Amino acid sequence: MSKLAKVFVIAEHNDAMKELAYGAAQLGENTALIWAGEPRQAGGTDTVYYLGELSDEHILEHYSPTIINLIKTEQPNLVLVESSRKGRLMAGMIATALGTSVLADATEISIDDGVVSKRMVYGGAAFSTERSTAPTTVATVSAGVFEAADTGKAANLVEVPFTAPAPSIKCLERKIKVGESVNLRAAKRIVAVGRGFTAPEELKLAEQLAAAIGAEVGCTRPIAEEEKWMDKARYIGVSGVMAKPELYIGIGISGQVQHMVGVSSARTIIAINSDKNAMIFQQCDYGIVGDLKTVLPALTAKLGK
Amino acid sequence: MKIVACIKSVPEEQDISIKPDKSLDLSKAELKIGQYDLNAVEAAVQLQEATGSEEPTLVSVGTAKGLKNTKLQKAMLSRGAGALFGVVDDSLDTIDAFATASNLAAAITKIGGVDLVLCGEGSGDIYSQQVGPLLGQLLRFTNLNAVSRITPRGDKLEVERTLENEIEVLEVTLPAVLSVTSDINKARIPGLKEILAAGKKPVTMWGGGDLELVKSGSIEVISTLAPPQAERKQIVFEGDSEENITQLAETLRKVL
Repeated sequence: MSKLAKVFVIAEHNDAMKELAYGAAQLGENTALIWAGEPRQAGGTDTVYYLGELSDEHILEHYSPTIINLIKTEQPNLVLVESSRKGRLMAGMIATALGTSVLADATEISIDDGVVSKRMVYGGAAFSTERSTAPTTVATVSAGVFEAADTGKAANLVEVPFTAPAPSIKCLERKIKVGESVNLRAAKRIVAVGRGFTAPEELKLAEQLAAAIGAEVGCTRPIAEEEKWMDKARYIGVSGVMAKPELYIGIGISGQVQHMVGVSSARTIIAINSDKNAMIFQQCDYGIVGDLKTVLPALTAKLGK
Repeated sequence: MKIVACIKSVPEEQDISIKPDKSLDLSKAELKIGQYDLNAVEAAVQLQEATGSEEPTLVSVGTAKGLKNTKLQKAMLSRGAGALFGVVDDSLDTIDAFATASNLAAAITKIGGVDLVLCGEGSGDIYSQQVGPLLGQLLRFTNLNAVSRITPRGDKLEVERTLENEIEVLEVTLPAVLSVTSDINKARIPGLKEILAAGKKPVTMWGGGDLELVKSGSIEVISTLAPPQAERKQIVFEGDSEENITQLAETLRKVL
């Protein structure tokens, strides 16, 4: 694979910064990180373009004119952006300023007559391979595409002069998100609940099974977003967590592609559903047609021993 | 406050079948409103109700199949919006996010006087989550995504943004493009009365003669293929008898 001359990275979280810096070193001869926040944390590229601190006064969006100016001046061949929410917005703003689109949420990225990326479309039913031939390609890159390995590069820190933005966004408050910190992406075993649960009190049946086998509890989109019975961090699927468990137990889950794509790489899939025609039975290794209120307590009792 | 919500017709995923060469067959797929767009429409209607503004306007970009379809038009207009503007051309079927945003921007500029544009988190089919951010920058409006609450504050908005680890509360100057999260609200389900009334609401379709259409971008789709499916054993015990549960427990113990 040929390398590009110049690859930039924009990240806001440390883990993504390390992954993208390593990715940039694979794809480009010369690499640079554009960074706001604690300068000591930045590194892994040939150059660090340091924007300044992050505070209520300066949230990342306030640096967008500075970032756009820098990219227009430096003209990298590729900008790898963390696919966080702020990263997606920044990628869109940069791409527009360059008159191009974004290779969004790349799950693979390579150089082949332009920048070629792969991404999930149609709710997980397909993967689309796309090529960008723009002079500067902007791509948001999903977590885990590159490993967070050491690049051995000692960065040269360059402070970038601030270009003031239009005064259209004023930060009133920033607060740490309340809610659970659960990392389903790293979970080896997952017990997931769906619409087959008819009341929030029933969730404890799944939680007890999960506790008995050392699993994390996940759920489908409606349980998190419509019923709000579980934190959004536990929602598995296209717009939620893409998990890679060894064991997945889906309970009261019909098996729609939007959810199942989030666990499709599981080594073993087990389904518990009262509807024998549920789609999940065609996608499982083992299943039982039965009432979750009967199956779960019995299963927990047998496995808890 | 003049509010626009962006909306897209997308194929029903359940009806998408996979051809032997792994490409997708969309020919039997019914079109529906992208699920995330419903939250943008609902947020627009709730904001209109809170501020006493005129009914929000819907704007969509697509093909005749998606937009000149009376049933879909009624579905779009039965959720509280007052009018629908479509940018229609059959060449707009598989355009990239930049081309979509450019055409939306042209329509919104032509409508004129728009204070607030709401987009969903992403489209129901391609879900690149980019049209909102691109549109905001093209229109040179205040531009934010991940918006999980919108409260009117005089001639400004107070907006809450739900990020990975933190919540931001921001004061936003209009005009703005805000992309809302899929849990900002629970979209209303229209009744028969609303669906009937929707048939009487104004629908305007613009084509190449009315707007300068952007038909291609810088991204080329090389292929769209179904992923290889892992072979699954599909051993299913029918019925929740003690014996079946014991068998399942034994199986589970082996994989643990």
